[in-house]
Amino acid sequence: MQTFLNALFTGGSRGAIYALVALGLVLVWRGAGLINFAQMGQAMFSAYVASTLITKGFNYWVAFFAALIVGAILGAAIDILVIRPLKKKSGTAILGSPSMRDAIPVIASLGILGILQSVAGMIWAGSERGFPAPVSTVALKVGTNTMPFTFFDLFTIGVVILILIATSLFLSRTSVGLAMRASALNSEVARLSGIRTRSIRTLGWIISGAVASVAGLLVTPATNISPSSLDLILIIGFTACVIGGLDSLLGAVVGGFLLGFVIAFISAYDLPEDIFIAIFLILIGIMYVRPQGLFGSQVSRRV
Amino acid sequence: MFKKLSTTQRNLALALFFLVAIFLLGHFVGPYNQNQIAVALTLFVGVLSINILTGLSGQLSLGQSALMAIGGYSCGLIMTKLHISMWLAIPLSAISAGLAGLLLGAVAAKLSGPYLAGTTLVLALALPTVANKFESIFGGESGISIDTGTPPSWLISILGDISFEEWQILVTLPFAVLALYVSANLFSSRSGRSWRAVRDHESAASLMGINVARTKVLVFIISSAFAGIAGALYGLRGLVGTSVYPIALSLSLLTGSILGGMRSLLGAGIGSVVIVFLPDWIGKLASPFHFPDQVTNYLPGLATGLLLVLTVVINPGGIASSVYALLAHLRSKKSPVDRK
Amino acid sequence: MLQIKNISVAYDSVQAVDQISFTAEKGRITTVIGANGAGKTTLLRTISGLITPKSGIITWSGREIQGMRAENIVRAGIAQAPEGHSVIAELTVEENIRMGALFRLRTNRADVSTAIAECYELFPRLHERKSQKAGTLSGGERQMLAISRALVSRPELLLLDEPSLGLAPLIVEQIIDTVSILCREKGLTVLLVEQNANTALAIADHGVLLALGKVVADMPAAQLRADESLRAAYLGY
Repeated sequence: MQTFLNALFTGGSRGAIYALVALGLVLVWRGAGLINFAQMGQAMFSAYVASTLITKGFNYWVAFFAALIVGAILGAAIDILVIRPLKKKSGTAILGSPSMRDAIPVIASLGILGILQSVAGMIWAGSERGFPAPVSTVALKVGTNTMPFTFFDLFTIGVVILILIATSLFLSRTSVGLAMRASALNSEVARLSGIRTRSIRTLGWIISGAVASVAGLLVTPATNISPSSLDLILIIGFTACVIGGLDSLLGAVVGGFLLGFVIAFISAYDLPEDIFIAIFLILIGIMYVRPQGLFGSQVSRRV
Repeated sequence: MFKKLSTTQRNLALALFFLVAIFLLGHFVGPYNQNQIAVALTLFVGVLSINILTGLSGQLSLGQSALMAIGGYSCGLIMTKLHISMWLAIPLSAISAGLAGLLLGAVAAKLSGPYLAGTTLVLALALPTVANKFESIFGGESGISIDTGTPPSWLISILGDISFEEWQILVTLPFAVLALYVSANLFSSRSGRSWRAVRDHESAASLMGINVARTKVLVFIISSAFAGIAGALYGLRGLVGTSVYPIALSLSLLTGSILGGMRSLLGAGIGSVVIVFLPDWIGKLASPFHFPDQVTNYLPGLATGLLLVLTVVINPGGIASSVYALLAHLRSKKSPVDRK
Repeated sequence: MLQIKNISVAYDSVQAVDQISFTAEKGRITTVIGANGAGKTTLLRTISGLITPKSGIITWSGREIQGMRAENIVRAGIAQAPEGHSVIAELTVEENIRMGALFRLRTNRADVSTAIAECYELFPRLHERKSQKAGTLSGGERQMLAISRALVSRPELLLLDEPSLGLAPLIVEQIIDTVSILCREKGLTVLLVEQNANTALAIADHGVLLALGKVVADMPAAQLRADESLRAAYLGY
């Protein structure tokens, strides 16, 4: 029973993190039409920055927000330096083919991931680094009972839910949010309405970068970051997106939590090595049974 | 005279030229370079598999390392458990990889773009863990060691002493040449054209009577067979294990394909050369700077990532496309009227 | 005043618009008519900045605007209600209208709500449905919505791309009448692209007839309407 509850709450807090990663991916997917495989590379980089700041004696929260800013800046840089030039070239020979138009941005983001990992490696590799949790990661005690969750679990779930609500409100209630939604749904009409779609898209990358950084910070254990430590998280986040439906924010969240539970239970009751196999089977299963994801719209799968 | 030959004959001539040229090159360089040539030949087959899959039919797969692993493990198992000669085992590995490609292709045909990329990525990560699970068969982390044997005595009597590395070249070369010949024919054939149609304009292609799904699966099978051969050859350097086929291998092949040129044989050739020789070139470029070890370790990775992004943004057709463009430009200057 | 001078637009090797020149007078309705494929929509897209012309000059209020980005052309006072009543189905009616005014929030926030209210006055049916998703609207309502979105940016030049397409004649009449009133009462300059030449020439002041990307006739609307040979040759009636 204890194992079950432990797995449940671990699944919840990890699921919250996967939900954040998936959220970041959906934002860029809707805004720019591509899966940003470099996203967790941005997160990894900003986690390193935050870790360095803490080692130099800065306050935890200062480091936290510095990481957000780094993630945001990296997102903006990727959009301005890589994605914009790519979009401008979309009429030319190779990029004129629709399958290539889908494939090329994926390849570009993989290249960016490689760059981020290499640079991070050059600056920080070899030094054992971690990013501590801001609150206790020891099991909570209420009275004399040990709860199956930690304060950190609650903190994680709380932060993620806050971000999700904030993002949702931002998109649905504000003018900038409306501009973002409009640009994502039909960028030509948006431009004809006077919306600066290029800048709006960059904003999407900025928000996504910041969100990913939060996920990276929450998931990095206190003892070790490495240039490739967040790769697995990206895969899981991507799968969460596919499960939920690539263009649905709600779907991303649901998918994230679902995967969080599945993985936690596999780790608790089965071999942790089976995780990749389980993810693969879930991925294939969803694509077979409901290719647009649980909440996605039919059109979006780009047949 | 060259123009009078049919396309197939021209491709055969090309393949034979390649065979002789690489053989001579391999014979006269030292062991370190010989090893590089052998690896380059192997990766050439691997990059060809990507050029066929992505360049010709437009399907982006990150799972080549998994297919190579299947090829490699098949070869290893066939050789060690069934005691079949390497020369037979390699083609058999192509078949087993091709079968895997059939399964994967059936799923992939329904997917596009990022979905396909993501799924194949997860596959590439999941497959090695399967090998770890069934340790008794697959040898787990330590894998299966394969012995390429020694060169036959009749060959030694012709060529003199053959180093291990040169023997590597002599083993991989026939298969690379065969792959070259087959690809050349594929690229210039009617099938090649229908695959390009699927790549560029699926709806139009299906209206023309091309069975899009079946085409995609067929290309997957062929591409996977190539990857399987590459994987077998890769493993023949001595070991087939989970660490031999990491996801980074898929990314290397993809990088080579993009840098060299995704849509041509020349591109595959250039790409495989770049992947193999880049670390050395970077090392030579960086040595006057005396960077600390930490930096030099990651320098090739940084260079690769940068080249990939720059190529994709500035020249997505790769080096080969620039070469062809240059040739076309020169040709048009020579005879401005005589253009097709 | 909108001046088109020798504008040419090509897609790959196809010449969609070939050396077109004409003027749309301020405060007047100018209609561009012609068969399918004559280049009318291409022309509008070029004026709106979605396409850069191969050659030629477009002048608006004394300023050269060809090649300017679409977002900036809107800010220069030119708004388009595009073809196919392209409303965004997933957004509500209110959001679709508001979209057109977002860029004015910083400079003229108070006027934005006024502008939106005016659209609802003009098209009461939209007001009824303001919280509904635009995808649920009928064809005529979508056209009204597209026009509202253009109007809410307070344009000086309104570009209309085939507003009658797929609509019942009664609705078309309603919409065209509304546009005509806007022009006469508010001094709005209108460039109306239409396949339905009859309807267009009935309310227009000036008519430009396009065929295969070239200007075939450029004269007062009444004159063009009366010219039987032109009508027979290019408009099929």
